[in-house]
This record gives sequence, C-alpha cells and structure tokens, in this order.
Amino acid sequence: MKRRGYMGKILMVDLEDGSIREETLPDEVYRRCLGGMGLGAHILYHRIPAGADPLGPDNMLGFLPGLLTGTGSLFTGRWMVVGKSPLTGGWGDANCGGTFSPEIKRCGYDGIFLRGISPTPVYLYVDDHTRELRDASVLWGMDTVETEIHLKANAKAAGKRPKVICIGPAGEQVSLISGIATDQGRLAARSGLGAVMGAKRLKAVVLSGQKRITAHNRVEMKRLSRICAKWVRFQPPFIPGPMTALVGALMRIMPAVITQDGLLYKILLKKWGTVSMNQLSPEMGDAPIQNWKGSSRDWGFRKSYSSHPGVFSRRETVKFHCYACPLGCGGICAMEGKYRHTHKPEYETVLSLGGLCLNQDVDSIFYLNELLNRAGMDTISVGHAVAFALECYEAGIISREDTGGLALTWGNSAAMVTLVEQMVRREGFGGVLADGVRQAVYRIGKGSEAFAVLAGGQEPAMHDSRNDPGFALHYSVEPTPGRHTLGAHLYYEMFQLWKVVRGVPKMPPMYFKGSKYRNPRRQAAIGAANSRFMTLVNCSGACMFGAFLGARRFRLFDWLNAATGWDLTPNDYMELAGDIHTLKQAFNVKHGIEPRDFKIGDRALGRPPQTEGANKGRSVEIEAMMTHYWEQFGWNPETGKPDPRVVEKMGHAA
Amino acid sequence: MAYFITRDCIGCTLCARICPTEAIRGEKKQRHCIDAALCIECGACGRICPRQAVRDPFGRMVKREKKKDWKKPVFNLDACMACGMCVDACPAGCLELGAPSGKDKNAYPVLADSEACLGCGFCVDECPVDAVVLAPPGT
Repeated sequence: MKRRGYMGKILMVDLEDGSIREETLPDEVYRRCLGGMGLGAHILYHRIPAGADPLGPDNMLGFLPGLLTGTGSLFTGRWMVVGKSPLTGGWGDANCGGTFSPEIKRCGYDGIFLRGISPTPVYLYVDDHTRELRDASVLWGMDTVETEIHLKANAKAAGKRPKVICIGPAGEQVSLISGIATDQGRLAARSGLGAVMGAKRLKAVVLSGQKRITAHNRVEMKRLSRICAKWVRFQPPFIPGPMTALVGALMRIMPAVITQDGLLYKILLKKWGTVSMNQLSPEMGDAPIQNWKGSSRDWGFRKSYSSHPGVFSRRETVKFHCYACPLGCGGICAMEGKYRHTHKPEYETVLSLGGLCLNQDVDSIFYLNELLNRAGMDTISVGHAVAFALECYEAGIISREDTGGLALTWGNSAAMVTLVEQMVRREGFGGVLADGVRQAVYRIGKGSEAFAVLAGGQEPAMHDSRNDPGFALHYSVEPTPGRHTLGAHLYYEMFQLWKVVRGVPKMPPMYFKGSKYRNPRRQAAIGAANSRFMTLVNCSGACMFGAFLGARRFRLFDWLNAATGWDLTPNDYMELAGDIHTLKQAFNVKHGIEPRDFKIGDRALGRPPQTEGANKGRSVEIEAMMTHYWEQFGWNPETGKPDPRVVEKMGHAA
Repeated sequence: MAYFITRDCIGCTLCARICPTEAIRGEKKQRHCIDAALCIECGACGRICPRQAVRDPFGRMVKREKKKDWKKPVFNLDACMACGMCVDACPAGCLELGAPSGKDKNAYPVLADSEACLGCGFCVDECPVDAVVLAPPGT
C-alpha cells in the first residue's frame, strides 16, 4: 500500500436505481485537487449538468474528509459536504467537525457522492464488508438526535460502532436553510444542503470502517503536530467573562489597532469556546445588531451581559473536542426544560438569536439552539429570518393577523420561540420564513426587501462587514457568498501567511483602523490570499481555529508534504488552491450565476453609514475591491467570470 | 501489505474470532486465510496463534504471547490533549472518553474494555504528543 495520506478511491451512489460502485482516482487528480473541497469541486464541476435543479435528481451531494484527516496532523478532523446550493443556485458547501470525517477514510474512500432521488426514504450504510441502501421509513420524521441514537443502537447490536450524519425534520421538509447533523447536534449548516439531502430522500449516512489511514512520513507528521500542540497548550490565566466586554470597548475606542496574533484568540477559545466573543464582538462593532440596523449602542454591556461567556461555562459539563482537535472549543451544556442537555451554543447562534433580534433571554437561546440542532436547521439563517420578520412587524408590513396572533416585537423571546417552533414544523407564519429570508421576501412582498440582508440569497454571518471590510469582500465575492469562514482582514492578520508565503501582503505591527477602508487593491490582495489559504484549509479538512495560530505554528504546508510525500512549496500550494477556487467560480458560471449578483446588501456595506455606534460613518467601497479581487485570480475584472480557456488549461474542461 | 497464515495452521479459529475486521476466513480444522484488503496489520492473529502460524507483512514469524500478558495502553494525562485520535484509531473499540474530573472539563481517554484490547499499539502510533505507551498489565 502506498503511504500517501489519501485512500485513492471514491464511492458513487445512484439513489434512483440503488447502484453503488467504487471509482479509483489517479494520483494526478489528488496532485491537482488535493482532497476535501478540491476533490468535491473536481467531481461536481464535471458531473452536474449545467442548469441542474438543486433539488432535482441531477444534483449531486458529496461527503468528503480532508486530505490530512487521520494522518497524525492536528485540527484536521473536519468533513465537507458539497453540492449545488438551492439557496444561491451555485456552488454550495458546508463544513463540520465532530468525529465523522476519519470514518469516511476508514471505509476506504476520499469521498462519497450521491445522485438521483430515491423513490422511498433510505439511508446509506457502509462498512468493510457491506455497502447498501437501507429502508429509512421508520426514521423519517425523527429529529437528528433520535435518528443518530436509533441508528447507532441498531449497529451496536450488530457489533459495529458507526459514525452517523443525518437530516432532521427541516431537511425532510426541504427547508432551504437546513443542514446536515452529526454527533447529536453539530451541523454542516450552510448553503442549504440539508434540503438537497431531504429532496433526495436520503435520511442518513452510516459508516463503520476499520481501514488504516496512512501518511508518507508519520514521524515528521508527529514532529509538526508537537510544534502545534506546544502553542495550544500555552494557556495563561485570563480575565473573567464579562471583562471581555471591556476589551471590546477598548478596541472600539482606539483609533489604531495592534495587528492581532491568533494566540490571544486561541486563549479565549480554549477557555470558553466561540461564546468568548458574545460581548467582545458587539462592543467592538463586529456583531450586527437588530437586523443590521442597530449598533453597539443598542446592544450595550447591560443587554449583552445575560449572554456573557461565564454563563455558558457554568452550564458546561464536559468539553467537546472534534477528532484530532487539541483545543476543544465545543462543549456539552446542561439545561432545564424539555431538553436536558445541548451542545454549547456557538457565538453565531447566540448573536443571531440574541443581539440580531435584541433578545436578552439566554434560556430561550439554549432552547432554540437544541431545537434547531434537532431539526437540522441553520441557526444563522433562522436568526436572520426572525430578525427580518421582527423588523417587518415593527414597520407595519406584517400585522398580528398575518403572524397568527404573535406580537413580533424586538426582544419578545416568547414570540420568537413560538415562531421558530412553527418554522421547524412549517406551520402558520413560520412556514413563510422556513426557507430563509429571500423566500420570505417573495412571500411577503410589500417592500419587505428593504429589510433583507443577503449575499447571493444566503444570510451572512454574525460579523459586521462595516467593521471589517474583509468580511464585506468575502461575503460578496466567494463562490459561496455570505460566509464568514472564508476570510476577513482580521483572519489575515492571524494567519500570518507572509511569514511563509512569498509575495503576499505583509502586515505592519500596528495600523490605523481607517486604512482598512482605503487602498482596495491591497485589500483585494489580502482577500485573495485569504481565499487561497482557506481553500487549502478546506481541502485539508483543517479547522480555521487551528489556522488562526499562525502559519509557523500551524504548519499546514509542511503537514501536506509529510502526509503525501510531495515536495511542494507554500507558493505551489497557494497556486493549486487558486486553481481550485477558480474551478468553483467556473462551476457557478456554468450554472448561470452572475458573480456581481452575489454582492451583499447595502445595509451591510454602510450605505447609508450608521450615525452612531462602533461603525459610525463607515462604508465599504465594495465594487472596487471586487474588481481587484477578481483580477487577482485572472478572472474578468468586470464580470468576475474566469476565462474558459484558463479552466481548460487547468485540466478541467467540461 | 497484510499478515499471512502459513501451512502450520490447524484451523483452531482463534485468529478468526479475534480479528477486529473479520478479515480471516476458514473452516474449522482447515487452514485459514487472511483477506489482504481487510487486514489492518494489528497482529492480534499472530499473537494468539497457538502454532505460531502467522507471519507479518515482512515475512517474519509472529511470536505467540499469552493473552493475559499482552501489553495495554497507559495514558499520561499530563501530556494528553483529549483530541480523541487514539479512541478513533482503536480497532477493538476498547477505548472511550471518560468523564471529566475536578475543574478540568476535558474528557480524556480510558481503557474501558481491557479484555477486548488487542495490544496492537495503534493508539500509540496515532497519538501526536506521545501521551500513550503500551505497558504490561498491572504496571
């Protein structure tokens, strides 16, 4: 057996006729596409016909581990789901941690791809001896936690210890904002790919493999991992939870900022997880408030205090580490009421169901977190849909009659809970919102589009693009728009790519905040480097939080060489990642997407600028940044479309 | 690369019963064989074989050991980072994440089913920070 980090095979499943077959891929494909997202882009670009209905039989769904998953590297346990997104109509992907990713490789595959629509609900079962579609009619209607428990219990009776991914009722009902769950509440939530799985009547994928995952040089892999582990272990005592708000306030007041070292963020993540930002972010202007029309003044210290990080750590009973993660930003929290425990809500969830709706009731956030995890629904999109409805109600566009008697006023947590429960069941006014903001605008009309904050049909994340123009850029130019995990100015500071990659912009030790809003060419160069690097991270199955440690501590390029036996430079890898990024953009163009249409809404760009708060007077000149960004990849600077000849040259001619 | 059963096999089925991937097939009292596509090279078949009829991928005879003497994993929790790689790598499923204790809320690996442990050392190979060692039982 070659020791090279990847398994060399993919599994192709046709849900229409029930056929399952293996395909062996040549090494050349891995050299060009790496794994994870890159391999997914390669397969989907070629095999989904132009104009395919995202919810139809021609769309494909792929589940992929990273190239580095299971090779002895750290932070590389994330799996990727890819497909044509029903939310954006273009390239869709979502990414999730947990323990599922290595199991794909242990079954012997670098990816599992499915096409077609099953006539009846099924789930895919794969182990070392068996590959089959099994009847899932008993599971249809169960939530994600019940489904996973049921499937694992069945497999345990047969002597197996499988890993499971599944959809909940939201995916079954083809909600366009549904995701795919694993480990009883971790979601690959974005791009609406749960709806694709539901439309295919695929309830779950159950894997139980025993194959060993190889690496070219395991000794070197371990050496690099020990370097990384040393920095993760560094954990000085830190301030109490509510004090993080003061750090945020200080960052808001200062006209200049010190270029951030990700080690500081790592300390926060290790202590509290992403909820460490619950007060810090709104104070510094990073969190959108009140459906993006509010500011840090509307969500001040007293209002955000109910969700300070200490509230979550007090309820946390055990930390949750994804596979190969030495950090453990996740956790399991105890709660009272209908559900006894839940995965610790993430920052995105807390702010989208909290500050975005001016909801101070943290108990309702815990409840909604578990409810949505079980339903398999994206909390970011749900928060946006609720905030959008609240603003429509306050503006008189919808009335109490329209909402079925719900008083959708800002911060009314009881009404919010009822509304989200309706969304999960597609009942009453919840049915209007169950497919996200864009569909809600179509259904409500009456000028409600003025309150919709969207990028290419997808709700953006809880990071204010007026505070960091890098977010505005990535929300608008990525083949998967509206995503916060693909780049930002702040991320670039923490990645510290200039220390290992030649020719990328170098950050000064300190800079004035205003400089981020000027020089679009430089901002675009930063954005392009971010996109390339995050593409590489997503091909490797790596976690962005690991990458935040900085390129000299999180040795991604060296790990890739040690795992595969290749001898590529960081610049070679960045170039490969650029090609994969181009392929995703070409996928969008093939499916009729006009890249300019992905530009995020004016409110998120500071048009008009806010008159108070942390982002007062800020607006982002996005058009110039988009043009320069497209130039960085050699795409048409006016349209954002790659030249078909470039794609052909890469060996990806359709 | 896989382990191999020689003609010395007497078909006692011990290897087939202990193999964690069900890679060994054969009738009772007949020579058994290993499916190379399924073998993960854990070596348990060789260590349990009463006739020392198993050879490793390099052709070396695998020495028999009494099962009660097989080495078991011992965890250095000061070095362990609770990443779960050892638990995932265990082909016998004998490792689990234990309950947190004291102020430390991390769940560290424990040998939950000592009887099922094959002493294969995969957990040792996988651990990125060398927090696992194999030691004779009782040490």
